[in-house]
Amino acid sequence: MELVDKLTPSMRRVARMFVSSDAVADEVVQEAWVGVLKGLAGFEGRASLRTWIFRILVNIAKGRGQREARSVPFATLAGDDLDAPTFDPSAFDTSGLWSTLPFDWRGMPDERVTAGETLAVIGRAIASLPPMQAEVIRLRDVLGWSSDEVRNALDLTDTNQRVLLHRARAKVRAAVEEHLRSVNP
Amino acid sequence: MSTDLVCRQVVELISDYLDDALPADVRAAVEVHLAGCDGCTMVLQEFRRTISMTGMLTEDDVTPAQRDILLAAFRGWATA
Repeated sequence: MELVDKLTPSMRRVARMFVSSDAVADEVVQEAWVGVLKGLAGFEGRASLRTWIFRILVNIAKGRGQREARSVPFATLAGDDLDAPTFDPSAFDTSGLWSTLPFDWRGMPDERVTAGETLAVIGRAIASLPPMQAEVIRLRDVLGWSSDEVRNALDLTDTNQRVLLHRARAKVRAAVEEHLRSVNP
Repeated sequence: MSTDLVCRQVVELISDYLDDALPADVRAAVEVHLAGCDGCTMVLQEFRRTISMTGMLTEDDVTPAQRDILLAAFRGWATA
């Protein structure tokens, strides 16, 4: 059951991206676990186990979403800002060099930076990201999955995985910067 | 290929740089830029620090209720 405890929260969130309600997402997660148990003997170990489980989940969730006639456009999940710069263009001069540097918090004491408050800011920043950006950064940076695992689990191209992750990290970094600027005496 | 990068470009490559996901020539160009740019070096360090703080977060715990629902599903499947 340890694996169920570990993976279920992410699985519910991922399922929820493709279906219309929490209740349906829960059904999808249950169906996925049953599928995992049924298919376990055929698991070839080419992907990691958790990646394989997520592929089963995403297939079921997408199928369920289609049957609900709820086909969610990729841009809705991924965010519609993927081509936009992640840093404010006005921070650079016309040749693309810094004209206004971001707030430098490198000299701040560690206990000030890594305070619970900052972690809460990070948590809120992640929660407010478009769903696929949030999930990629959760899996990569909170749970420590590899880029290959995340790309396979969420059925993303390598490029999309990287773009989504960079965008998510940039927004979280910006939120941390804003927070630390405000608490810096 | 001559790849003189400016700050506006380098900040968009930082995540891939940290993940070692850049082609060798681009990676080299980023390193040349970083060696001469304190602003981009600062942003790189802040990304690294932010990622490490993100890693201190945990997921919400699975609620017991959720676990019970799953156990029920397994039992139903086993006896079907």
